[in-house]
Amino acid sequence: MTKWGMVIDLDKCTGCQACTTACAMENNTLPGENWQDVLYYSEGSYPTAKLTWLPRPCMQCENPSCVAVCPTRATYKDMDAGGIVFVDWNKCIGCKYCMIACPYGVRFYADEKPVVEPDVRDVFPGTGQLHAPPYQGPHDDAVRGIGIQPKGVVSKCTFCYHKVSQAPAGVADLDEDNPETKEFTPACVRTCPPKARYFGDLDNPESEVNRLIADQRGVRLKDHTGNRPQVYYLGSGADVPAYQPPKKS
Amino acid sequence: MNKGNILQGPMGLGLAVVSAIVALAAFGYAFMDLSAVGHRSFNTSSQIPWGQPIATYLYFALASSGLGMIAALSLVFGFKQFLPIAKRAIFLSFVILISGMAVLAMELGHVFRMLWVIPLNMQIESAMFWMGVFYVADLIFLLWKFQKMEGREWDSKTSKQIGIASFLAVLLASGNLALIFGMMSMRPFWFDGLMPIYFYLTAVASGLAAVVFFTYLAYGFNRDAMPERTRAMFEGPMGKLFAAVLGGTVLFIAVRAVTGLYTNNPEISVVWRDFLFASPVYQASLWLGIVAPFVIMLVKGLRSNPSMQVLVSMAVFAGLFAERYFFVVGGQVVPLFRGTWEWGLIQYTPSLTEWALTIMGSAMLFALYAAGERFLNLSDMPAEPAPEGATAAA
Repeated sequence: MTKWGMVIDLDKCTGCQACTTACAMENNTLPGENWQDVLYYSEGSYPTAKLTWLPRPCMQCENPSCVAVCPTRATYKDMDAGGIVFVDWNKCIGCKYCMIACPYGVRFYADEKPVVEPDVRDVFPGTGQLHAPPYQGPHDDAVRGIGIQPKGVVSKCTFCYHKVSQAPAGVADLDEDNPETKEFTPACVRTCPPKARYFGDLDNPESEVNRLIADQRGVRLKDHTGNRPQVYYLGSGADVPAYQPPKKS
Repeated sequence: MNKGNILQGPMGLGLAVVSAIVALAAFGYAFMDLSAVGHRSFNTSSQIPWGQPIATYLYFALASSGLGMIAALSLVFGFKQFLPIAKRAIFLSFVILISGMAVLAMELGHVFRMLWVIPLNMQIESAMFWMGVFYVADLIFLLWKFQKMEGREWDSKTSKQIGIASFLAVLLASGNLALIFGMMSMRPFWFDGLMPIYFYLTAVASGLAAVVFFTYLAYGFNRDAMPERTRAMFEGPMGKLFAAVLGGTVLFIAVRAVTGLYTNNPEISVVWRDFLFASPVYQASLWLGIVAPFVIMLVKGLRSNPSMQVLVSMAVFAGLFAERYFFVVGGQVVPLFRGTWEWGLIQYTPSLTEWALTIMGSAMLFALYAAGERFLNLSDMPAEPAPEGATAAA
């Protein structure tokens, strides 16, 4: 069975935020929703000061702590969809317990929509697709949290499931350089200029992601939590420093 | 028996009406804001998803549980000295829980969806699912027990069984509420297997504050107007119980603070040092709202003094509210990843809408309570406690 995984090579990543932008464009995220973000850290002091950065998508954990806490089963891990963790927007009640339980801070609640607002279709009558909001993706799927986040629910990265799900069955890797898989590659992977991101099947021994994890000793973020992410990091910089309060000037 | 109860006259009606107006005004303000801009009117964010409305709910839910435990002292465990406040405690427990749930309802993204999604999906792995189950059971048993008391069924077998069931529901509900926080290993400030014990203790402390304050309020803060047995309870065991519970609370906060400050883990030690102890509000609430009341209740000459009892109850009200607020927010102020957007602790100050919800819940409690005093006989108690020998013989 397919188990989608991502590998991010921090020695290649330049922190350009192209992945963040591509994600926002692909998924129509609202302001405040950063399904994909790059976090910057400055560590140490002269003469050993360094600036590091960390791209952070949802880890799609093998043992996700957000799933068990959800009182409505709105958050679920779909093994038939490659082990991606989804939020069913038809079931989410906006209690935000999953946001508390996620150790990676990759769940978002951007409830800016008013309770009462005019229906755009009444304001601008016409024919054809005139949904509110005006843009609606052809693959919108509320059950998997794909589309524009409605009011009062939690949203998160879906590994671009609307693209990934269209990939040919049994494919080992989704690579933007391969014309056959280019269209099915997640937006952040496809857009990455230094090719720091790889996406493939962790259950397929032949996949490039497995080779990279094995050869370059891939690590998982905050592995002590037991969540076992399906996102691996290569290179230096995955050792996220512990929180320290900024020095008072 | 109730001659001195000023809330059974026009005062009660007046308090109920004024409180209801305040509650409605606060609800109106919050509803208008939520209608205009959604939950953006809260100052919570994806970094701090739970803010003051959750702290308010927690405070009310635990005060309700504490009141249930106080009622159980006489109704389940046979401490007859506390019988004079049993009915009032059961009623207060019910209305304070309703008020807390009203605040929670305004905080959730989809409150009406919750009504069908939770029972249809049965996610028994979630502590929040069990919170719903146990608090609904709690509400039902409280109401049932109160109905038995209204029928003056104090000692029937059914009444006793419902009393025991109610007490168990209270324990399960508040203990489970504690585990919602206590099981979150990714939030080390909360992660604690003994959290239910801490919640039980502080629940009884806030319950005592509520029942002392509201009983005095019913009698116009004049202890001489109280019925004989109620007065005897306030002169005798109440002060000692309050002292013991506050002592336990101080001890629990102290050990949490000591272990928190001692650890190297910044997600705990920084919270204690830079968020809790660095805040003048927390300092004031701790020393004036919990430690000073404990000291007052320790002094023999002061703990039975009516003015001191009222003062302590109000101080504990405020102190424990702040304690809940700093507990809920404190678990989230250290960013999960210190990065571009969060260099220091995450800043959070409740918005006016969030304050409006706290005021709404509090005013709702006053309105429902005053209506209860006005229309129900909350001071009711069995005529005389049966002598021990007579019970044994029977």
